[in-house]
Amino acid sequence: MEDDITSEEDPIRGRPKEIPHNEKLLSLKYESLDYDNIENQLFLEEERRMSHMGFRCLEISRWVICGLIGILTGLIACFIDIMVEKLAGCKYQVIKENIEKFTEVGGLSISLILWAVLNCAFVLVGGVMVAFFEPIAAGSGIPQIKCYLNGVKIPRVVRLKTLVVKVFGVICSVAGGLAVGKEGPMIHSGAVVAAGVSQGRSTSLKRDLKVRKNKQNEYEGASFWNQMLTWRIFFASMISTFTLNFFLSIYHGKPGDLSNPGLINFGRFESDSVAYYYYEIPLFMCMGALGGLLGALFNALNYWLTIFRIRYVHRPCLQVMEALLVAAVTAAVSFTMIYFSNDCQPLGPEHNEEYPLQLFCADGEYNSMATAFFNTPERSVRSLFHNQPGSYNPLTLGLFTLTYFFLACWTYGLAVSAGVFIPSLLIGAAWGRLCGILLASFTPTSPVGIWADPGKYALIGAAAQLGGIVRMTLSLTVIMVEATGNVTYGLPIMLVLMIAKIVGDYFEEGLYDIHIKLQSVPFLHWEAPATSHWLTAREVMSSPVTCFNRIEKVGTIVDVLSNTSTNHNGFPVVVQVLDSDEPAKLCGLILRSQLIVLLKHKVFVELARSRLSQRKLQLKDFRDAYPRFPPIQSIHVSQDERECMMDLTEFMNPTPYTVPQDTSLPRVFKLFRALGLRHLVVADDVNRVIGLVTRKDLARYHLGKHGLEELQLAQT
Amino acid sequence: MFPYNLYLFFVFVAIYVPSLKCGDVVHLSDSESADKLEAVPSLSNAAVSSPVFKPAVDTVFSFSVLSSFPEDLEVSDYCSDLLHIFGQRYVAYVNCLVPAARPVKVCQSCYSTYGSVVEIYKNISSDQMGPGNETCRDSLLRSDRLMLVYQLYSNLESLWEDSNCAQCVTGHFESLTNDTLYFMSTLNQTLTCFEKYQQGNHTELCKNCKSAYGTLNVLYSQMEKNSTLCIDIEDAMNMTRRLWSKNFNCSFPREENVPVIAVSSFMLFLPIIFYLSSFLHSEQKKRKLIHPRRAKSNTSLMNIQDKLS
Repeated sequence: MEDDITSEEDPIRGRPKEIPHNEKLLSLKYESLDYDNIENQLFLEEERRMSHMGFRCLEISRWVICGLIGILTGLIACFIDIMVEKLAGCKYQVIKENIEKFTEVGGLSISLILWAVLNCAFVLVGGVMVAFFEPIAAGSGIPQIKCYLNGVKIPRVVRLKTLVVKVFGVICSVAGGLAVGKEGPMIHSGAVVAAGVSQGRSTSLKRDLKVRKNKQNEYEGASFWNQMLTWRIFFASMISTFTLNFFLSIYHGKPGDLSNPGLINFGRFESDSVAYYYYEIPLFMCMGALGGLLGALFNALNYWLTIFRIRYVHRPCLQVMEALLVAAVTAAVSFTMIYFSNDCQPLGPEHNEEYPLQLFCADGEYNSMATAFFNTPERSVRSLFHNQPGSYNPLTLGLFTLTYFFLACWTYGLAVSAGVFIPSLLIGAAWGRLCGILLASFTPTSPVGIWADPGKYALIGAAAQLGGIVRMTLSLTVIMVEATGNVTYGLPIMLVLMIAKIVGDYFEEGLYDIHIKLQSVPFLHWEAPATSHWLTAREVMSSPVTCFNRIEKVGTIVDVLSNTSTNHNGFPVVVQVLDSDEPAKLCGLILRSQLIVLLKHKVFVELARSRLSQRKLQLKDFRDAYPRFPPIQSIHVSQDERECMMDLTEFMNPTPYTVPQDTSLPRVFKLFRALGLRHLVVADDVNRVIGLVTRKDLARYHLGKHGLEELQLAQT
Repeated sequence: MFPYNLYLFFVFVAIYVPSLKCGDVVHLSDSESADKLEAVPSLSNAAVSSPVFKPAVDTVFSFSVLSSFPEDLEVSDYCSDLLHIFGQRYVAYVNCLVPAARPVKVCQSCYSTYGSVVEIYKNISSDQMGPGNETCRDSLLRSDRLMLVYQLYSNLESLWEDSNCAQCVTGHFESLTNDTLYFMSTLNQTLTCFEKYQQGNHTELCKNCKSAYGTLNVLYSQMEKNSTLCIDIEDAMNMTRRLWSKNFNCSFPREENVPVIAVSSFMLFLPIIFYLSSFLHSEQKKRKLIHPRRAKSNTSLMNIQDKLS
């Protein structure tokens, strides 16, 4: 048995093995964030110097920053909202006029082409921006933010450039008629703003604000940390909602009317249509199960598509082309649906369709397929929720659900910035409304007012579908209740989301989790895999560890840091007792970033001796370098300097967390997750370093179909 | 017929109850009341002190209404006169409304009667002192829980608002607006055209009346934009459109199936080519596996499974 293993492993060791991309990989390009305070001597000194007043100011400045973040996020959301409305309005107006013209004289295929071309033009702009300038801005951004909150440093995810690309990208893709929403990108941009504003503040502050990116509605991550923080996040999101309302009210010409509800707003349900009865709850639960099933199907299809995309459609020009094709097909399918639809309905008294299309309907009536397709998705959701009974016939809704399901599934994962919230709500609202209509038609004897309103079934269906696709129960309940401004449905929505999640999880993971996995991100879940108690730190850790002596030669440090094959970030510092054979003992931990700053400022023992007047390095120097530490290559160290020595005592973290080597994996996991660690030293009984546990060591274990499985590390 | 009768019956009761106390009693059966309605005296010769009707259930009524209150609590003559006039005008308006319900002509035919109701109500509700230094506002409008006069009037008012008649009638209920009149004449032209070609082939009608119908449509949408529509115009337009589209079948036929299908299936075909070609020609992205440094004894998944077994 032993022989088999070694003979199998040998050829692998010889040359790096190449395999096609799959979900069971961990990428090397992701690093952890440093949440842990480094309590070195500099830190202690600074704390001593800081007065009581200083702490007060810090507290106040946190609140001010929260307010600032809220305002900026609100402004951005407002900008996106207005731009989308304007651009999409122009587009639909042009197409509508064109269609009206050609209905009369013939040549509707030209309108179809016009629609496709307009769609493509918008998507081209958005796609080029994303694919060529900032690929990280693709998608909804929620998976990335989720990773960031988890403590994984995704390169460039919170840069200004990403923000700009994201904002304009999402405007283009929504105006381009893709089956996408703008909410995920809005959350992402809120996160970027939060990170941007908080930069350059004190270290303790930074840690708080990292967490704050769960802007608009994601309370899940935040509630894990402390209460004050949750409260501040809540404050920030309220401020941003307020700002959004304030500016939208000005835009709509009613300055000061702040009740115009927030980001996702589906309008208020009228009081008589919200009534529900106890016997409807089982029905709602069935719809929840259906939502879970459909969500799982959606996720499975999207999973295969995404794998295909990663493997074969990886060049930017191909990605842009794919996005264009999707845009064109979306237009073609929508147009065909509208063209062949026989469902004509008169406009209701308080209709909110801005672009009704008549086509072949009788005068005074309008194509009801067009109210669903010929509109921005958000408006379509609103009309599905609120249009009076009878404004859609079941065939229309069925066809719409089917096509939109596949379109949305196909669209998510393209190289455009686009969220999946609104499309899934739309799918759910369509089949939910269908359920409502069918129920009403099967039970003609029941009291009319109860079954008759399909709007509430649309709401429940939307919740079920959203829950089935993204599986975030807590935040979704909050979002749905907020978006409809309706607490009456709190319990049904919660039940539906829960059931959708349970049913969906049985078949397939949530969409965001799938994408996190496919990006090979070392993501730590809440708990260690269930059957992993027999694994100990000895098996989990990386070993041997590259250590530094407390007084180390500069040359050695530079060599280790420049070694590209081992891109380590934390180095245990050991002390060798002179004149003894005893092995070196652990005395601290130092980070790559600190070493680079030290090298840059040339804090060498010899130099310190010769130049006594030299300014002492302060914590501020380290902070100034954040967050973009220069790479080691940019630091020039001369041949003479290589011979100098560097004293790390003052800068290293003298009390790193350690565990004995027999600690079980779940214990290590808990430490990591709760403390936000980046490195955990494994020491033996005499405090010798025998290994180092990092995030990737833990994240590689996961519970697969055949029990515990191990992910492989790969270069991506 | 029944609900209509019943409604009027109640209206009458409402209006004539105050005058019943005078003691004059006229018998009138339910069925007669409808006929009598036509003969409601015009406003000018309304003889205030001689009520004409009395409900059939006189025995009960006469008891309750004949007992009267002391002088100072009762409604003055002036006010009861006003009330009486209000009643007559009210009846006249309702009388006008009902026959105009279908096809809707409530604005065209009843605007002047509505104007008179508004006028008398204004008098009732105004602050101005009448003869004898009294206002009827308090005594007629809000001395009881029911506030019947007020409710009756506000019903009419909301009807008027719902029907949007104000858009078609000049400010003081003198006449219809010019827009409305113009629309009506255009509508008449179209309808004459329809009548002319109604016999025989409808395609002929579609061709010949298209311009008239088109002008009407344009005019209508223009008025819609200016929001000068009232229910009369909306209804007339709806009927015309229904005639045009459903009866004469003149809406646009769906003729371009082939080009539309061709173009859209071409577009549907493109992604298939795209995915196939990128599957065949684009090189697959490979990942280089990296082997982490581990403690010697336990490295691979193999060992996990060994341990488990």
